[in-house]
Amino acid sequence: MMFDKQDALAENDAELQPFLDAKDIVKSYGGVQALKGVSLALRAGEVHGLVGANGAGKSTFIKILAGLTRADSGDLWIDGEDVVVMTPHHAAELGMNFIHQELAFIPDMTVMENIMLGLPKKTRLGLVDWKAIAANIQPVAERVGLKVPLTAKAKTLSTAEIWLVNICRALVRKARLIVMDEPTASLSASEAERLFAIIEDLSRSGVAVLYVSHRLDEILRLCHRVTAFRDGAAVARFEGDGLTRPALVEAIVGGDLHPIPADKRVNHDLGTVALTVRGVARLPMVKGVDFDLHHGEVLGIGGLVGAGRSELARLIYGVDRVDAGEMKLKGQPFAPRSPSEAVKAGLGLVPEERRSEALLLTKSVAFNMQLSNLAGIVRNPVLPLIDRNRRRSQTEAVVRDLAVKTPGIETPVGQLSGGNQQKVVIGRWLLRRPGVLILDEPTRGVDVGARGEIHRLIRDLAAQGMAVLVISSEPDELPDLCDRVLVMVEGRIARELHGDHLNRNAIIQASYAHAS
Amino acid sequence: MSEMTAGNRRLSARSKARLGFFARYATIIGLVAMIVLFSVLSPKAFPTVLNFTNVLNQASLTMIIAAGLTMAVIVGELDLSIGFAASLHGILVTGLIVSNELPIPVAIVIVIGAGALVGLLNGLVVTKLKVNSVIATLGVGTILTGLAFAYSAGVPIVRGVPDAFLDISLGRWVFGIPNNILIMASVVAFLWLLVERTSIGQEIQAVGGNPAAARLAGISVDRIKILGFIISGMCAALTGILLASRLGSGTASAADSYLLTAFAAVFLGSATLRDGEFHIVGTIIGALIIAFGFNGLNIFGAPTFSQYVLQGAILIIAVGLSSLGRSIAES
Repeated sequence: MMFDKQDALAENDAELQPFLDAKDIVKSYGGVQALKGVSLALRAGEVHGLVGANGAGKSTFIKILAGLTRADSGDLWIDGEDVVVMTPHHAAELGMNFIHQELAFIPDMTVMENIMLGLPKKTRLGLVDWKAIAANIQPVAERVGLKVPLTAKAKTLSTAEIWLVNICRALVRKARLIVMDEPTASLSASEAERLFAIIEDLSRSGVAVLYVSHRLDEILRLCHRVTAFRDGAAVARFEGDGLTRPALVEAIVGGDLHPIPADKRVNHDLGTVALTVRGVARLPMVKGVDFDLHHGEVLGIGGLVGAGRSELARLIYGVDRVDAGEMKLKGQPFAPRSPSEAVKAGLGLVPEERRSEALLLTKSVAFNMQLSNLAGIVRNPVLPLIDRNRRRSQTEAVVRDLAVKTPGIETPVGQLSGGNQQKVVIGRWLLRRPGVLILDEPTRGVDVGARGEIHRLIRDLAAQGMAVLVISSEPDELPDLCDRVLVMVEGRIARELHGDHLNRNAIIQASYAHAS
Repeated sequence: MSEMTAGNRRLSARSKARLGFFARYATIIGLVAMIVLFSVLSPKAFPTVLNFTNVLNQASLTMIIAAGLTMAVIVGELDLSIGFAASLHGILVTGLIVSNELPIPVAIVIVIGAGALVGLLNGLVVTKLKVNSVIATLGVGTILTGLAFAYSAGVPIVRGVPDAFLDISLGRWVFGIPNNILIMASVVAFLWLLVERTSIGQEIQAVGGNPAAARLAGISVDRIKILGFIISGMCAALTGILLASRLGSGTASAADSYLLTAFAAVFLGSATLRDGEFHIVGTIIGALIIAFGFNGLNIFGAPTFSQYVLQGAILIIAVGLSSLGRSIAES
């Protein structure tokens, strides 16, 4: 059934002032302007799309609406009143509700308790009157099509049902605006359909929805109007006939769009194959990936957050097991059951979350750097006493090579800056020298100087024959660094870019390609 | 992002340094202060070579079982089965010697092997069945208590324990130093070397410090955790053997109370020198504090109830200091 977008809006169009009117919002983080004066208006009942590449400023804008951070300047009008959202609680009082990608709920509480969380509850004789509350909630639950009993524990619910619980929560709070961040990222196709129907129903009843998504098909289908953010500015607004896929992509990417010609294998000099990946899948995030990684090559994997890139790395590194497909490492079948097997077979990983997944912050630089190389510094394998001289000289050599800024090799790694911490993680694999090294967001949270050094280091490793796989969400990072870039979209490789076609815009454009 | 963290309480660098110093050295200062105090109050009975040797001799068993427990807590788990295990192993070793007439060394080797098996069982339940280690080891410990009663039929094995077995704990074979102290010193030295100076020790520390990072660095986290439990189990078995030798009997539940003392020592130790990190030297200092504390109470003839009060208080203070140290290290 087609939802007549224009009609629903037209009724409200003339007489109503916007529910939300943000004007010239500016926000800087430590000298970096995240928002450079954006304006965005939303009427009651409007489904408004918000699109933009990673880092365009969408999250910052939503945080300001939610009262999680404050704008440096600019005005926010809600229902014709000039307001500053102080806290998330205040945001809820103003009628705004937020449903984030990572759904917030308490697994051991019932559906009803989750819906009522933080809300004043009707009491009888000082006890919470759950019966009366249930009677209030039930119609709301029915309206959004939540079919589980209100007394079911939240942990027994599917992701889609948790979504519905969150929407119920917003409606019970009398929400006038619901902000949804990548709502369909973890929903199946039919679950997404149900969500769309609910959004349309909300819209008809006058609830506005700010729909933040990378999925342009959904944006085109659902939204009355769309605002595109790029580099902290609202660069374009679309409605009616102007709302088309090419227009959106152009606004998101910025600059000129060149049609990307079909892959044509340029005869550039790739080394021998180090890692072969064929049909590797683990649902729902990785849906069948094929590629070859060569010795001496830096291969980038680009794409949007949620495209399945880190999940692919976890499969290759043995953190998760593959459902289907096969891999070969130097021609030998390769199916690691754990990271320790992968490391033994000659892989290394620089994980995305440096502090929680890579380092022991209270331990020394030497401890952290030698963690994967312990067999290389023991006196003999039977009595594995560590040769402290070798440990020190090896560590000092890497600290010197990588120009790690640290008072000494026994300094706790937590006292180093982000860039230097990252060098310690990379240094770990310099000591181990795996044949294949995977780096997940290697320069996240790293200053510009260290970023250049890390890039040079990655190139050096490849020049020495290592096969390097780099995952990055920053389209700017990959073109300089990589020989080839694979762009992942919804769990599949959508495109391979190399040579003249490897540039920032091409990566972004490919990231928004239709899923095949 | 500063707005989002502004709510957290931040310690100033100076007060942090002062608190850190306090947390790190409080236990050692406490130990020294206690020894000085008892020496002043009781100059004839307390500060003598004889008394110190006695204290150390009696503390040796606590130190061995606590050093073992330290291995379990370094890998990030708790082992509540050690007291019950030590009781069972005490009965087992006397039983093997008295009823089965096995040579003493053979019986000891078998029982230490049984200790390793108990540790393996704990480790497998925790890593493979993913049972929380508190529940897992409490369950295993309760089963062991049942086995101990079944094996001994509830009656202590007293008769027929050969003097040669008693001599292990009571003898002074080298330079007149009590055997217990020598055995304790070797165990402690071995475990210290293992943790601080070997590659396995680095892996053990990494697994306890950040299991996710250890795993991604290529360490077999489960294997290391199981190893921690096995060492803990072997140390409990050794403690059970030495206790049976000292008591001259195998008695169900004889060693149960070692559990709390060992925990107090381990947590006191984690607050010592390192910010809330468990380590062997710390555990030994923790055990010394407890040993000298009780020795002092005995010398002054304090009533029995006060020993329980002290033990409970030490446990709480120990865990408090330990988490204080950790929160300082992380702030």
